[in-house]
Amino acid sequence: MATETARRRNTLRNAAIFLVLWEVIGDLRLVADGALPSPSAILIALWRDLADYPPHILATFEGAFAGFVIGNLVAVLAGILFAVSPVAARLGRGLNIALFALPPIAISPILVLTFSGMTPRIVLAAIGCYFVTMSATITGISQTDRRMLDVVRAYGGSRWKELRLVEIRAALPAILAGLRVAAPAAVLGSILAEFGGGGRFGLGAYLIGSLGRADPGRLWGIGLAATGMALIAYGICALIEARITHSTRAVNIAATAPGEERETRPVTDTLIALGSFALPFAIWWLLLKLMGTPEMIAKTPAGVVDYLFLAPSAPGAQSRLLAALAETLPMTIIGMAAGLAFAFLLALASVVRPGIVRGFMPIALVTQTMPLVALTPLLVLMLGRGPSVILWITISVTFFPAFVTLAQGLSMVTRGALDVVKAYGASPMTQLRLVSIPASLPWLFTATRLAVPRALLGVMIAEWLATGTGLGNLLNQSRGYLDYGMIWTVAVASVLLAVIFYQIVLIIERRVLRSYGMRPAD
Amino acid sequence: MNLSVNRRHFMGLMGAAASMPLMERAGFAADPFTFQASWINDAEFAGYFLAADKGYYADEGLELTYLSGGPDVIPESTIIAGKADLTLTTPDTTIKAIVDQGAPFKIIGAQYQKNPIGIVSLAKNPINEPKDLIGKTLAVPPVNVISVEAMLKISGVDRNEVNIVPYAYDPTPLIKGEIDASLDFTTNVPFTIEQAGEKATSFLLYDYGYTTFNDTVVVTEETLASKRKEIVAFLKASRMGWEENFKDPAASPPQFADSWFKGTGRSVENEIYFNTAQKPLMEAEGGIFAMSEEAIEANIKALAEVGISAKREHFDTTILEEL
Amino acid sequence: MSDSSGIRLENVSRAFKGRDTIVQALDNVSLDCPAGSFTALIGPSGCGKSTMLRLALGLDRPDSGTITVSGRDPAEAARAGLTGVAFQDAALMPWRNVADNIALPLDVLGRKRAEHAGTITDLIELVGLTGFEKALPGELSGGMRQRVAIARSLVTSPQVLFLDEPFGALDQILRRQMNLELQRIWIKSRATTLLVTHGIDEAVFLADRVVVMQSRPGRIGRVVDIPLERPRRPEIFTAPEFHALQDEVAEALDGH
Repeated sequence: MATETARRRNTLRNAAIFLVLWEVIGDLRLVADGALPSPSAILIALWRDLADYPPHILATFEGAFAGFVIGNLVAVLAGILFAVSPVAARLGRGLNIALFALPPIAISPILVLTFSGMTPRIVLAAIGCYFVTMSATITGISQTDRRMLDVVRAYGGSRWKELRLVEIRAALPAILAGLRVAAPAAVLGSILAEFGGGGRFGLGAYLIGSLGRADPGRLWGIGLAATGMALIAYGICALIEARITHSTRAVNIAATAPGEERETRPVTDTLIALGSFALPFAIWWLLLKLMGTPEMIAKTPAGVVDYLFLAPSAPGAQSRLLAALAETLPMTIIGMAAGLAFAFLLALASVVRPGIVRGFMPIALVTQTMPLVALTPLLVLMLGRGPSVILWITISVTFFPAFVTLAQGLSMVTRGALDVVKAYGASPMTQLRLVSIPASLPWLFTATRLAVPRALLGVMIAEWLATGTGLGNLLNQSRGYLDYGMIWTVAVASVLLAVIFYQIVLIIERRVLRSYGMRPAD
Repeated sequence: MNLSVNRRHFMGLMGAAASMPLMERAGFAADPFTFQASWINDAEFAGYFLAADKGYYADEGLELTYLSGGPDVIPESTIIAGKADLTLTTPDTTIKAIVDQGAPFKIIGAQYQKNPIGIVSLAKNPINEPKDLIGKTLAVPPVNVISVEAMLKISGVDRNEVNIVPYAYDPTPLIKGEIDASLDFTTNVPFTIEQAGEKATSFLLYDYGYTTFNDTVVVTEETLASKRKEIVAFLKASRMGWEENFKDPAASPPQFADSWFKGTGRSVENEIYFNTAQKPLMEAEGGIFAMSEEAIEANIKALAEVGISAKREHFDTTILEEL
Repeated sequence: MSDSSGIRLENVSRAFKGRDTIVQALDNVSLDCPAGSFTALIGPSGCGKSTMLRLALGLDRPDSGTITVSGRDPAEAARAGLTGVAFQDAALMPWRNVADNIALPLDVLGRKRAEHAGTITDLIELVGLTGFEKALPGELSGGMRQRVAIARSLVTSPQVLFLDEPFGALDQILRRQMNLELQRIWIKSRATTLLVTHGIDEAVFLADRVVVMQSRPGRIGRVVDIPLERPRRPEIFTAPEFHALQDEVAEALDGH
């Protein structure tokens, strides 16, 4: 109890020191000649603009909320389907990875081209929620205590009865945890779509409209409002989660079932893999047909192939795309590696010195929800427009989810294993070396897979706003030139790129973990 | 109790956020007409706001829906997708789309006779003409890079001697001295810079050979054929709005502060500056939206410099004749 | 003798494939549990006793051989509500209170809970949990949870009762108490019972006969009949004839 209070006091003290430092730096205009406003200046700007906020916040809330509801509903249903039917799960794999990996910045323009009004915001917010909740649902259902299922089965219960009476309810804590993570993602999705959506209201629209005001206080104020919304959404979900799961924590230790190798059937497996690959394209094509969007704007898979390989302008398009890829790819890999390394070091530091992390957490949280577009001008002033700005932006977007995953992995290292080395008087560093680091290997891979799409997003945002290179710039320029073929091509290329990266990590992960006799972390 | 009030407010906003149907002086069946603006609500569209508020569109038998634009809204896309009937564009992208992709666009008028984009710099580090850009860093929105390159070429400046970086319509880097100049609306950004305590100086690309319109009025060929009457009515009412607006450029922006301009976070003084600055760029002998043969010729010539082969047939002046 | 509510296994085999090994969990096993009998299965880990139970419950299918429960296919018997089951670790649903957990088989079988309200109250009383109807499993002790599981196994008034190490997780003292209670309950219900256990004393105390199994491959080693009078009283745990039977089972376990 006493240590808890002391810990809390420490956290508060660190936060206070941080705020005072920030205030001094801001007031003395130490960073980039005053482009980093002090907390008080941000609050003053927030107060001054207070009358502007309500319609923007409500509009963002509307998009985020509708997206949250729809996205999570689809996610839970899909999760149930995938948990119940292994074939559906394997068929849906391509689609799931694509939805997980797609950089919002790349598909926001095509959503705006295809849909109108609030729809792009809702879709992007829904996509932001989908993967998290879908995987949480599958995890929740597949980790259901098998003995509870046996009870139902022993009475001849059907698959539906198992789902209804046991699995869905048992998965509820996992699903709610998923919703908690999805809530800020929905807010961010809505804001990202607002950048390109052209509505009058929404924090994203407000931010874009304010970029030209040379008023960093306001930009940070908007960022703060967005962060606040995300945190409140997170908090509400956490509260609901705590209330529902409080009394129903599992009382049994789940037993692992005897693992039986699935039989491999080459023909069926190949067919399913092909189907899984084709499904996203089929849905893409079908959606455009159903929407009836004019062909000039909405490129079907065939349209993109035509643009990139068959049309007279194809060689030009190809060379522009390849040139952009040659700029984006190396930065993505380097940025991702740097972000992961940073996250790994910080996670290790958190084991040895938990205090460091608690002091650092608030800043990390702000950088996660603060729309990058608001921070980019500041970063440009501080870092210039070279590769370093791309690297920093990429690190800042990749490190946080990676850090959370790794810290979780390290915290789950069994007490017993640590106690064994501790009993021989191992120092914290030796404990890290002998136990924590090897044990966190599966989590490092999970973190890498999480980092893939975010790294690509970070690089593209930096290219678009700061350096004018690579895929980010090509996307923006194509938008300006009404080069619809290229807009779709960049969107498809970036999604494919993310999926390929993801798959490569997955293959390495399987190899390495198998040779160490470990199981994937999720 | 609270809930119902909030809900009504909320529903009202939903409508406002999506679009703004303007239904005034109803009584007879008005023709629906949708206008996609090219930017967020500011003085660039003061004439339309005034025409709407004064009921000019209703008088012409139109029920106007006004769609706001923004940095990432592609106005041409909106009309191809059939979400709007008429929009304002930059002539280079529109004509490039016609030439390269066979887009069915017609330019039927021009809001700005002289394109307001120009090179903006600080008075203490002034860029007064294209030659001053040599060895400097210039921030240009990626879309406008070809226009700047054309202007440099016409002025005999080697493009490789200018460091061009992307610009996101944020003057902060200019004010902080990270860049030496930016390409922006000369009608707008100098005010912002002065608010930040600096003096700004600028010149128009137009004055250095890049003689193009801007906010060209564009419709699809299909709309031109099927909604000719409505298009004429829209331009008539809009022209009246603009004329009324320019009688006193300082008078109209305050009227929109709590309606059209609400939530943009820009001051009324800013909009008055803008409105005043744009007046000489818009006024034409043939009235607002006019496209004289000489002006069209100048556009074709300027666009040829950036490799866009504009033709006279891309411009349709017959609607203007009916106004 | 009528076999209308017994359990019968004939030449049952079941193997599991691991990564590079095949484990023969059951190898050509035959067993007949007559109606109203109490059979205990005992054996070392991996002798296939739990596999046998899962097969009889219809949770798994044999590679070869036949199994009937009350003369029917196990899955069919389960769907008809003829069987009751209690597992090790209680396997209660943490979100259902005691009464709701006991009623779970009714929900699975699609029976109206209202018609069995009396049964549930009686069962709660039988297992000594009156007053805890609304308690959640997380608020109960291990022994109480196990008693809920026993009550749940009886809610359908089963003809055949399967008990899979139901007291395996309890301490010795609690286990004795539960053994006594189970005997009392069983004498009332007279259901054909198959108990899987690790405890020799528990097996001897409860069963009419103890089936001793051996592993690799899983098979039946010996069947020891327990001719002790019922109801058996706690004092019997110290009686010489009880010890003799215990020794006999222990010897059989050692492979003699």
